[in-house]
Amino acid sequence: MDPKLTEVSQLFDRFKAAFVRNDYSNCSNPLSQLKVLLTGFRSLPPLFEDTPNAVHELTIARDIYEHAVVLSVKLEDQDAFERDFFQLKPYYTDACNRLPPSPQEYPILGLNLLRLLVQNRIAEFHTELELLSSTALENPCIKHAVELEQSFMEGAYNRVLSARQTVPHDTYVYFMDLLAKTVRDEIAGCSEKAYDYLSLKDAKQMLLYSSDQDLLEYIKEEHPEWEIKNGCVFFQKAKESAPCKEIPSLQLINQTLSYARELERIV
Amino acid sequence: MTQDVEMKDHPTPSQSLPPPPPSTLHHLKEIASVIENGSKSNEVRRIGRAVRLTIALRRRLTAPVLAAFIDYALVPGSDPHPRLSSYLPKEDDQAMETDTATSAAQTHAKQLSPELEIYCYFVVLLFLIDQKRYNEAKDCSTASIVRLKSLNSRTVDVIASRLYFYYSYSYELTGDLAEIRGNLLALHRITTLRHDELGQETLLNLLLRNYLHYNLYDQAEKLRSKAPRFEAHSNQQFCRYLFYLGQIRTIQLEYTDAKESLLQAARKAPVAARGFRIQCNKWAVIVRLLLGEIPERTVFMQGGMEKALRPYFELTNAVRIGDLELFRSVAEKYATTFNTDRTHNLIVRLRHNVIRTGLRNISISYSRISLADVAHKLRLNSANPVADAESIVAKAIRDGAIDATLDHTNGWMVSKETGDIYSTNEPQLAFNSRIAFCLNMHNEAVRALRFPPNTLKEKESAEKRRERQQQEQELAKHIEEEDDDDF
Repeated sequence: MDPKLTEVSQLFDRFKAAFVRNDYSNCSNPLSQLKVLLTGFRSLPPLFEDTPNAVHELTIARDIYEHAVVLSVKLEDQDAFERDFFQLKPYYTDACNRLPPSPQEYPILGLNLLRLLVQNRIAEFHTELELLSSTALENPCIKHAVELEQSFMEGAYNRVLSARQTVPHDTYVYFMDLLAKTVRDEIAGCSEKAYDYLSLKDAKQMLLYSSDQDLLEYIKEEHPEWEIKNGCVFFQKAKESAPCKEIPSLQLINQTLSYARELERIV
Repeated sequence: MTQDVEMKDHPTPSQSLPPPPPSTLHHLKEIASVIENGSKSNEVRRIGRAVRLTIALRRRLTAPVLAAFIDYALVPGSDPHPRLSSYLPKEDDQAMETDTATSAAQTHAKQLSPELEIYCYFVVLLFLIDQKRYNEAKDCSTASIVRLKSLNSRTVDVIASRLYFYYSYSYELTGDLAEIRGNLLALHRITTLRHDELGQETLLNLLLRNYLHYNLYDQAEKLRSKAPRFEAHSNQQFCRYLFYLGQIRTIQLEYTDAKESLLQAARKAPVAARGFRIQCNKWAVIVRLLLGEIPERTVFMQGGMEKALRPYFELTNAVRIGDLELFRSVAEKYATTFNTDRTHNLIVRLRHNVIRTGLRNISISYSRISLADVAHKLRLNSANPVADAESIVAKAIRDGAIDATLDHTNGWMVSKETGDIYSTNEPQLAFNSRIAFCLNMHNEAVRALRFPPNTLKEKESAEKRRERQQQEQELAKHIEEEDDDDF
C-alpha cells in the first residue's frame, strides 16, 4: 500500500479515536495535518486523476471532511463549517459516479440547509435545494430543513420550535437552538405589531420563557419601549401610526420633471 | 427547458423558391458563392444571410445532395473532405444531379476559403441532427470545433456561433452536457480574446444552459455576473439570455427582476418559437404568483398555449381563491408536469402565498373572527391549528399583508377599517410605475430602430442625411446619458 495513504489512515484513526472520546481539543491538530496531507493526492478534486488507489483515497478524503464538518458543529464554529462543507461538496456532486453514496450525505446536506436558514441566507438555501433530487427531498433529514423553512416563511413559529423535539440527527440541535433565538426575535417583532397588549403570562408563554424574570430582562434589553403595567405588556403602537403624512415633495418634483423631459423628446 | 427551444429566423419562402424550383444542390452552390463573396469582401452580413438561407433549405438536405456539395466545395484531397464524406452514406443513386460531374471536374484549383470549409461542417451537422444520428453529430461537431479554434476571422464568426450551438445541442441530445463544459469555457475565453461578440453571446448562453441543466444556479450566476456584457447582436440569443437570467433570479428570490426578464424574453421571442414562449410564460406565471400578483386570464389563453399552460392556470386559480386544499390537490394532480418543468420547488414556495391570499380574503370579509375559524377556513391541518393561525396572522400583520389586530385573551382577530387608498401615495406610485414603463418602452423602441444604409434613402441629399444622422446620434446619446443619472 502507498505509504502516504497509510500515513493518512493512521492519523485519521487517531483523530477518530479522539473524536469518539469527545476530546475535541485533540481533534483540531490532527485534522489540519490530515488536510495538508490530502493536498498531496492527485486523485482528489479538483484534479480527479485516475490513480490506482483513487477510490480508496476519495473515500477516505470524504470521510475526513465529513468528520470535519461534524466537528465544526460540535465546536460551534460556523465559519469552519462553511469551509469544510465546501471542501466536502465536490465529493457529493462530482465524484458520485466513482464512489458508493455515503450514509452521512443527507444528514450533512440537511445540516447545511439548516445553517443557511439560521444565517438567514434564504437565496442560497433555495439554490442548494435545487441541486437535490426528488429522492433526496424525501429523506427525513432534508425534509426537516425544508419544512422548517416553510413554517418560518409562513410564520408558524410554534411549528419551528416543536421541530426541535423531532430532530433527525443529534448534530442538528446546535442549529436548532440558534434558530430558536431568531424565532424569539421574530415573534417579538410580530407581537409588537399585531397586539395592543398581552398579559405577562401570555407573553412569557409566547416568547418561550420559563420565568417572569427572564422575560422582564429580555424586554429591558431588547425592547425598552414596551410598557409594563397592571400585569400586562403594552406595545406602544399608537405613537408610530401618526395620521399626518408628509408629502414626498422632492420625489414628486423629480418625477414631474422627468416626465416633462421625456415628453419633450417624444413630441 | 425540457422542450427543445430552437429559434430560427424564418426567411420568406419567396426568396428560396422561384417558380421552377431549382435543385437543392443548386441552392447550396448559390449559398456557397454568397459565402465566397462575403469572405472576399469581408462582409459579415452576407455570411449571415447564407446561414439564414441554409436553414430554409434544412428539410431538403439529403445524403446524396450533401455528398455532391462537399465534392463541389472541398478539394477531394484536402483534410476535411474524407472526414465529412464518411458521415454521408454513399449510395449511387438517381438523386445525384447531372451537373455534379461537370462542376466536380472543373474543381476549385483556387485556395479553399475557411468560411466555406466551416460551412460544410455546418450543413453536414444539420443533416446529422435532423437524421437523429446524434453520436455522429457529436463527432462531427467536435471535429469542427477543433478546426474553429485555429481560425481567427470575423467572417467565420457567424457560422461558428451556429456551430457552437449545434455542438452543445448534439451533446444535450445524448445527455452528456457536463462533458463539454470545460470546452465551452475555453471557447468563450477564445472568443472574448478575439472580440467575437456574437460568439461570446452564444457561448455564454450555452454555458448558462449547461449549468442550469444540472441546476447549478450558483455557478451560472457567478459566470453571468462576471462575463463581459455588451449590446446584444442577435435577438434570439438575447431572448435566451433573458430567460436564463429570469430563471436564476427566480431561484435566488429576486422576483421583481425575474419577472421583468421573463416577460421581456416572452415578448421578444419570435412568434414561431412557441416552445420557448411557453416556457417563459410558465416561469413568469409562477414568479408573478410568488410576487402576490394574479396573472390575467389572457395570459393563459394565448394561441397554441392553452393546453401547455393548463396546469398553471389551475394553480393560479387555487392561489387566487386562497384555498390550501385546492392548491394541494392541483399540485398533486400535476406533480409530474411540474417535475418535468422543474418548477416543483417553486410551487412548494407558493404555499405561503396561498395562505396570505386566504387570510386577506378573510380579513376583508369579516370585521371580527375567531382564530379557530381562521384556522378552519385556511384549512391548516396541523397539530395545533389555533396557535398556528395566531402566529401566521401576526406575521401577516407585521408584513403589512393585512390590517388587523389580534386579541389574545378572547382569541380573535379584529380587522381595521380599510382606509381610503386614495388618501395615500399608492395611486401616485402606481401611475408612476406605469408611466415609467411606457417611457422606457418608447426609448427602447427608438434605440432598436435600425436604418439600412442607402437603400430607400437614395433620394435624400447627402447634406440632409448627414443632418438627420447627427440628430439621431444626438438623440441616442441623450437617452444613454439620461439612463445614467438616476435620481
